[in-house]
Amino acid sequence: MYLASFLDARDICIEQRVLSKQQVYQMLVDRICAHHQLPSCGTKLLELILQREEEAPVAYASGIAIPHIRMEGFEDTVVAMAFLQNPIDYEGTKISWIVLIITDKTSSKTYLNIVAALLKLSKDSEAMANLAAAHDGHSVVHRLKEMAVMVKKDLFISDIMIVDPVSIQPGATLKELNTLMSQYGIAGLPVVDQNLNYLGEVNILDLLKVGIPDYLMMLDNLNFLMSFEPLEKLFENENEIKVSEIMSRDEIYLRPEASIIEAVFEMILHKKRYMSVVKEGKLVGLVTAMDVLRKVITA
Amino acid sequence: MILMLIALAVFAITYFLIITEWINKMLAALVGGFVVILLRVVNQHTAFAAIDWNVIFFLIGMMLVISVVRETGIFMLIAIKTAKLAKGKPLNIMILMFLATGIISALMGSVTTIMILVPIVLLIAGELKIPPAPFIITMVIASNMGGAATMIGDPPNIMIGSATDFSFLDFIINLTPPVLAIMASSLGLIWLIYRKGMKVSNERRAKLMEYSETNLIRSKKLLLASLLVILLMLLALTLQVPLQLETATISMAAGLSLVLIGSRKKVEKILVNDIDWITIFFFIGLFMIVEGLVATGFIDLLANSVTTLTGGNAKYTSLVILWLSGIFSAIIDNVPFVAAMIPMLEKLGASMPDPSQVHPLWWSLALGTCLGGNGTLIGASANIVAVGIANRNGFKISFKDYTRIGAVFTLNSIILSTLYIWLRYYL
Repeated sequence: MYLASFLDARDICIEQRVLSKQQVYQMLVDRICAHHQLPSCGTKLLELILQREEEAPVAYASGIAIPHIRMEGFEDTVVAMAFLQNPIDYEGTKISWIVLIITDKTSSKTYLNIVAALLKLSKDSEAMANLAAAHDGHSVVHRLKEMAVMVKKDLFISDIMIVDPVSIQPGATLKELNTLMSQYGIAGLPVVDQNLNYLGEVNILDLLKVGIPDYLMMLDNLNFLMSFEPLEKLFENENEIKVSEIMSRDEIYLRPEASIIEAVFEMILHKKRYMSVVKEGKLVGLVTAMDVLRKVITA
Repeated sequence: MILMLIALAVFAITYFLIITEWINKMLAALVGGFVVILLRVVNQHTAFAAIDWNVIFFLIGMMLVISVVRETGIFMLIAIKTAKLAKGKPLNIMILMFLATGIISALMGSVTTIMILVPIVLLIAGELKIPPAPFIITMVIASNMGGAATMIGDPPNIMIGSATDFSFLDFIINLTPPVLAIMASSLGLIWLIYRKGMKVSNERRAKLMEYSETNLIRSKKLLLASLLVILLMLLALTLQVPLQLETATISMAAGLSLVLIGSRKKVEKILVNDIDWITIFFFIGLFMIVEGLVATGFIDLLANSVTTLTGGNAKYTSLVILWLSGIFSAIIDNVPFVAAMIPMLEKLGASMPDPSQVHPLWWSLALGTCLGGNGTLIGASANIVAVGIANRNGFKISFKDYTRIGAVFTLNSIILSTLYIWLRYYL
């Protein structure tokens, strides 16, 4: 599908005035409400949009802000946009392109794919210069059509994954692993060689297990043990033991073109909260269950 | 004749694989069992009929019982209480653990007992900062001795009990007295070997005495139910003859009632984790392979040559069986050994003029295989399990380490057994 097919020239404005965020939103809402039947409109809609924005930030570093709202029973997707010649400051990010998306509560795929297409576009400076040179909505739609900007039909793991995730090499010590985990606040990470070839994964339980002798794991319970030196062995050997000794090598991973449902399926099946994304043997990303929740379910 | 050779070849190859552990022993036994059928040594019907379901279901029943009883925390309680009772003194701990292991093994089976108690002893030895190997070795020895005392203590006895008409009570009457004597003399050996050299600081000992066992019992109700069911099970086993119940029925009744009482919501977990399918299918495969030897007449041949050798004299046959099974069980896992010996003893018995003369042969086999299992590191399942746990925890127990001690205790056991068999049955 073409991005242009989702657009109506009447919902696009080129703005030269110095306006506040609310003023721009108000303008976009007015335009949409003028020719669409929405479950709620006017000030009510504006409030909903601002409220949604409180929950999750909408501005991206590439200069685009994508406020959006999902409405029950709307069963359509409407996109309105404003090109600002005077950028607005979104908590430190200069935004010169605001795109408002209104969509149905149940269809996250279309919405996410439009967002993905917009983000890609916003990073393409040549295309952005071309769009900014347009003088009205018709011209914007026309130029987008010419550039053949596509909205994918399907959503892939590569669209929601973390690109270039933190990883560790098998030769690293447990101390280094420990530092990485606390520094980034992550409970598990992929293990790769120096060429980023994917080797496996290591997680916080692998690390903690070093500190608990195997025989303790075989006991039926440990509630009689009040004063066992906690994780003694882990502290003693942090500098000697290598990641390669505790990592797991036959971990399940995903291809970048895996679907969201496949990722969720694998996560549930293998009780994993995150999965590495591997392309041709190399680590390209990481997707977490939280990403699925935030970027797909509650997006 | 060709079939007999094929059966013998399958038997030899399988046992070779079991001893060398080149492939998983269950896989070896099961492959052997079906190869015997595929090569038409016996048909499937005969091979399946040879599987002793009484043994199989007895094992499953006991595994169910143990799975629920473990939940109650009673085994942990016994172990911690024992260590505290010993006041943290190494030799006392060793002696009390030896006794506890023997008693629990007699009632619950040697392998399970080792699986439960060895990790605790590793913990205690770690806390006291003393080498755990002597404790593990003596506990393994105790488990095989305790196991020898009852029909349900050790896999060979379970198989003998099932193949013969002996009841649970017969086993106690004939095997418990010699085992008690052997354990008592073993305590003397422990004292001789280990009385010196294990020193523990007061501070370390105090730490052990701080263990609080108050929270170990998770559910008093389940514990009471478990103890009651076990008591009823032992009672039913004792009254097996008047009740006319087979062992498997009794153990399954106990196991199923405990699962119904305590773990009915976790049935799938129990089936996956707590039933040792490897052991179950290992037994099934062995029964099938041995049937190949029986059906082709090899066992007859062997029995006849033994009779010729001993001139049909029951006393000599008993002693030969005792020593032979003692030596063989030390070298190979005693379960496959007994699986092959049982049909042979049945044939031997058939050739004897007075059937009651056969009885001592069985007791000799039981004592020889169970106690012979102590001879080397690989003699019995309990040994392999214990050393496996120790090795995984970085306490290497080598073949030599174990055998140096194990052989002494085994020699002592077999000599005492010889005396017992001779004095009790042939004087």
